[in-house]
Amino acid sequence: MSRDVFVLGSARTPFCRSYSGYSDQTNLDLLSGALNGLVSRYSLSGVQIGEVTAGAVVVHSADWNLAREAVLNTSLSPNTPATTMQMACGTSLQGALMLAAKIAQGEIDSGIAAGSDTISDAPLTTGRKLAKRLVQLSRSKTLKQKLGVFKGLSLGELAPIPPSTNEPRTGLSMGQHCELMAKHWQISRAAQDQLAVQSHLNAAQAYRDGFFDDLLVSHNGVVRDNNLRADASIESMSSLKPAFDRASGTLSAGNSTPLTDGASAVLLGTREFAEAHGLPILAKLTAGQTAANDFAAGEGLLMAPTQAVNQLLNRSNLSLQDFDFYEIHEAFAAQVLCTLKAWEDDEYCRNMGASAALGSIDRTKLNVKGSSLAVGHPFAATGARVLGVASKLIHQHGQGRALISVCTAGGMGVAAIVEAA
Amino acid sequence: MRHWTFSIDSEGLGHLVLDHADARVNTLGSEVLAELDQALAEIEQTSPKGVIISSGKSRGFIAGADIAEFNEFSDEAQLRESLKRAHALFDRLESLPMPTVAAIHGFCLGGGLELALACTYRVATKESTLGFPEVKLGIFPGFGGTGRSVERAGALAAMTAMLTGKNYKAPAARRIGWLERVVETPDRLFWAARKLILGRKTVRKRPVAHRLMQLKPIRGYLAKKMRQQTQTKANPAHYPAPFALIDLFEAYGSTSKSMRAGEIERFPAMMLSQTSGSLRQVFFASEALKKVETPFKGRRLHVIGAGVMGGDIAAWAAFSGFDVTLQDLTQDAIEPALKRAESLFKKRLRKQPAIDNARSRLRADVKGEGVVQADIIIEAVVEKLEVKQPLFQRLEEQAKPDALLATNTSSLPLEDIAKGMRDPSRLVGVHFFNPVAQLPLVEIIQGAATRPDVLEQARGFVAAIRKYPLLVKSAPGFLVNRVLAPYMFGALDRLEQGAKAEDLDAAAVAFGMPMGPIELMDSVGLDVCLAVAQELGLDNQQDNSLKQLIGQGKLGRKSGQGFYAWEKGKAQRTLPSGDAELGALLLKPLVDTCEACLAEGIVQDAESLDIGVIFGTGFAPFLGGPLRARALGVV
Repeated sequence: MSRDVFVLGSARTPFCRSYSGYSDQTNLDLLSGALNGLVSRYSLSGVQIGEVTAGAVVVHSADWNLAREAVLNTSLSPNTPATTMQMACGTSLQGALMLAAKIAQGEIDSGIAAGSDTISDAPLTTGRKLAKRLVQLSRSKTLKQKLGVFKGLSLGELAPIPPSTNEPRTGLSMGQHCELMAKHWQISRAAQDQLAVQSHLNAAQAYRDGFFDDLLVSHNGVVRDNNLRADASIESMSSLKPAFDRASGTLSAGNSTPLTDGASAVLLGTREFAEAHGLPILAKLTAGQTAANDFAAGEGLLMAPTQAVNQLLNRSNLSLQDFDFYEIHEAFAAQVLCTLKAWEDDEYCRNMGASAALGSIDRTKLNVKGSSLAVGHPFAATGARVLGVASKLIHQHGQGRALISVCTAGGMGVAAIVEAA
Repeated sequence: MRHWTFSIDSEGLGHLVLDHADARVNTLGSEVLAELDQALAEIEQTSPKGVIISSGKSRGFIAGADIAEFNEFSDEAQLRESLKRAHALFDRLESLPMPTVAAIHGFCLGGGLELALACTYRVATKESTLGFPEVKLGIFPGFGGTGRSVERAGALAAMTAMLTGKNYKAPAARRIGWLERVVETPDRLFWAARKLILGRKTVRKRPVAHRLMQLKPIRGYLAKKMRQQTQTKANPAHYPAPFALIDLFEAYGSTSKSMRAGEIERFPAMMLSQTSGSLRQVFFASEALKKVETPFKGRRLHVIGAGVMGGDIAAWAAFSGFDVTLQDLTQDAIEPALKRAESLFKKRLRKQPAIDNARSRLRADVKGEGVVQADIIIEAVVEKLEVKQPLFQRLEEQAKPDALLATNTSSLPLEDIAKGMRDPSRLVGVHFFNPVAQLPLVEIIQGAATRPDVLEQARGFVAAIRKYPLLVKSAPGFLVNRVLAPYMFGALDRLEQGAKAEDLDAAAVAFGMPMGPIELMDSVGLDVCLAVAQELGLDNQQDNSLKQLIGQGKLGRKSGQGFYAWEKGKAQRTLPSGDAELGALLLKPLVDTCEACLAEGIVQDAESLDIGVIFGTGFAPFLGGPLRARALGVV
């Protein structure tokens, strides 16, 4: 049994650069905000959703049941189960694909995939040694035992450990990895700045056109993405200093995504579910694929989407050029350009099992409403945002298909295809 | 029981739920109280382990006593008997042998808070609002709240709460001792209440400082301080309730019990006073004014003209949550408005990121890009038909078809502004007053062609930005300026005849106005006053002190000099003690004009007129408005 799965709607909070508009918000606040926005926009109050999946990358240990807690903060039926899951920046797209599989299988009729992230509410933890002592302390009974716990305590142990998104295996930050990719694929600074400016201009135009009006829900008094620069220009973009490699780097704060806070959610369901609840059908979610590469051995950390897309195209009997829109998440302008260049490279493509290069894409179809460089990138929220935008694009277009890809930490990628319903 | 339900769960906990059968919000009317008596009897018989009192309404615990029933009382003795019964009921709740918990979500005001304070414990969701608004109705708490709140929070905090009538969010209410627990969401209320009951949490011992404050000599000292402070806010002759409450505390405040007994003694005179009657009428009228059938759905406002009015309207709307674009010819013309907005946000919001987020909701828009996306467009450009007419013709082409098109004109007829529009029925007037942030009234001007649904939407918008919309027919001066002008020019005549400005102002203040007519003219701006007078045909003198001042560039507060010298927004003069009878004479033309406006149908009814003039001019609220004041024979 395999049933069609449709994207019925999406909602997200405006995104804010970290330490700004949401500096008083937690992941639970943000996620609840996005879900509540979806619920009110699509009149889901009291509705039992088959399953909600949601997650965040940077989490407090108290957030162990984040998705379910967020559901309970909405007016969705409390009978709605929720899974907290995480796949770095791919979280909410991967969540959507997992729900889609369950819907296709007939296990559920509807699902909400969501994600949230905030760096402003960073979970500081204690070091391992101190944590061990504190556990021992709670287990010891006599004063002597209690005092003994602190024997040999050094001042350094008391320092709190901030969260880190560096790759554990390489110790490099995402930006440093992407610098390596940019060097490998010889991506120029000018090309990166050009892509970044285009992203801002596209998003600004989309704002003017009202494209985001039914995708955004105000949250905490914020009504717009605050990273967006409608006046972005090559001049201002090119004046920024390299951010990760001061000497010879090409990545700047302008052509890389900033640390961002925000949350987004996307609603999936069968045609029958949509009809029963009077919901629009935006697009059909036809296929999805995850992939991973051996980045620790030298492959580009953010290059796995090239493989995910390759496998997806093979399975779907499509070529890279068979799409009306490409929604390629912009972690860095360089990462998008590396991806495009790799698809144009015979040797690279043959190495990943294709018979030849996948070829070029029509750049006018790429991220036509702007992407993460403009609106920001709260890690786990991006997948649902991109899926929501792609579905609306297809719905407006009335035909055709869109290719989605999101790169993630740990050398992974998630890709999906949505088509006109 | 129609309003209450009582049940006992499998753990032996009692659940007492109030869900008013006939109203959207819970109030403590006589029927509800009578049923509570039955419920308490049932609780005494079944003796559950504890009782949790909650509301069956999704928003709101108990809004207070049923104020509509107040008018049924006319006799002190009869009212006192009724109070004694209510007190006995609350005492009975307080002395139940098992612990009781008020589980509060939403507003818990007046009588609702008094009920909660008679419980052993109180828990509330964090967005709940608690407070004693009684003083705004010319009374003080009457169900034992005076004694019980002092007992829980100490005299200083409790008396402050009762004297100011201000609302406390749950965390603040917890800090002063009204709440034992604050929880995040409504579904946590029961569990927090259960834990309090089963854990038999000991009620916090009263701090020694609180006990000391109730000793007689210290009470006397505190009472004196409170009187001094309250006198700076309210005239005891006009607003006796706060002073009666201070007297009550001084005389009976030694224990909760004695204060409650004193409350029964002193409450009836307050409730039967003329002031309380007037303030109740003001309360009902203001509730009616802000009641909107269909809430405004839009979130985007575009304001054209970044002058004082346009800029401040934009800032206020952004402060209230709207996504606002503010248009003028140049960025430089918009900057001063953004600066003023910044200080508004800082003053009212105080904390980050709320200030930054408010700022991000107000954007300068020289190109006018906001027009096409706006749900409402307000024009506040120069008062010239040749500017406004083409503007609205253009807006009509560019704006969304269902966007509200509004003008903030104060002197041009809507019918003229709408000339040349394809659909003049879209145009509505929204007349704000300066300073926008302080004045609660907005006149909604109905032009000859304005559609009813457009008017209703405009009312909805004004309610959405937390102002009071008053429907007014399009006529020179609308309501507020029309009634103010003869008052100000009458005073000007007296000034010309030799009266002193200070004496005139003091007389009006003694009557009950927030400021006198001369200071008012200075505040409004002398040039504006003259323009209004000319429009209304009141300017029939060749030369007077007003025109001389304007000729010298002395325009009032805004220029630093008018009839008075001004510094930092304050007139530099001291008022002598005023003659209230002279004040009544000064106000006579205002009240006469109000009667004329009612007769002409400028405003739909006397209640709206009274509340409109109170909110628009500050007319003595304790008199219930100009028409009521005349009915009372005061003016």
